[in-house]
Amino acid sequence: MSVWKYLLIAFVTIIISAAFLVNIPRIAILEETARNLVFHVPMWFTMFACFAAGMVYSIKYLSTENPNDDLKAETASMIGVIFGICGLLTGMVWARFTWGAWWTFAEPKMNLSAIALLIYVAYFILRSAFDDEQLRARLSAVYNIFAASTVPFLLYVIPRQLPSLHPGADGNPAFSDMTAVELRVVFYPAIIAFFLLAYWIGNLRYRYRRIHAKLESQQLEF
Amino acid sequence: MIIALIYSIADSLSGAYEDRWSGAPGEEESNILMQYMSSNDLIFVVLAVSLIIWSVLAFYLIRVDKKISSLEKQFTEK
Repeated sequence: MSVWKYLLIAFVTIIISAAFLVNIPRIAILEETARNLVFHVPMWFTMFACFAAGMVYSIKYLSTENPNDDLKAETASMIGVIFGICGLLTGMVWARFTWGAWWTFAEPKMNLSAIALLIYVAYFILRSAFDDEQLRARLSAVYNIFAASTVPFLLYVIPRQLPSLHPGADGNPAFSDMTAVELRVVFYPAIIAFFLLAYWIGNLRYRYRRIHAKLESQQLEF
Repeated sequence: MIIALIYSIADSLSGAYEDRWSGAPGEEESNILMQYMSSNDLIFVVLAVSLIIWSVLAFYLIRVDKKISSLEKQFTEK
């Protein structure tokens, strides 16, 4: 195992500790939950990065027809969904104690992020529908490009046009207007840390899937 | 419901003990680490819990990584 993984573990440990230990200014309603910024927001950023990587590998697959690219695209999207689910669940807990409800259908960012995740769930259902590997890879690559291109609209463009309690929407200041410097110092490195963690987890899954594929092709030969 | 009922019956034993758990020393007389953990509205307890979860997950990731590496090695040798 390479050194950067041990360094990453130390890095994430420092991030988690710092998120709890920095002194933050008290804001009514938010109180100590402002610390959630370090955990909740990077989940979404990591999801965006994973979906973007998935789209890049899908495009690459369509031009190279290399099955490894299809595998990379699938893995990136799967890790993206996992981080998206973490973002949704942490957001729900945060919403319950600051907005007063686990879920509200008046909140565009909540609903649209759930829809974005459902679009990706459909991607995995689509994949499971084919036995022919090449057909599966090609069609799911096309679908994945569509799925990834909906994400910026669902999570940035539309929520900004609608009234919302979520920061970064109409009627509510965005991150830059209200976040304390002390939290930013932890928040920016946290994004990098979670990106690297997602890369590591995705790398593990990709390697496992490749061994699995090799094993299957070997069994066919016997 | 039933579990709560059983628990409440079983817990009646605690009536024989003091209100305070006599086994644990008070915050003032405990060692410096325990005093530190008990300060700042117990935020350090939450930090400890989070770090335990993270360290177990990280340990598991390392193990899976090593297992996959050894499998990869076996495949290239063949």
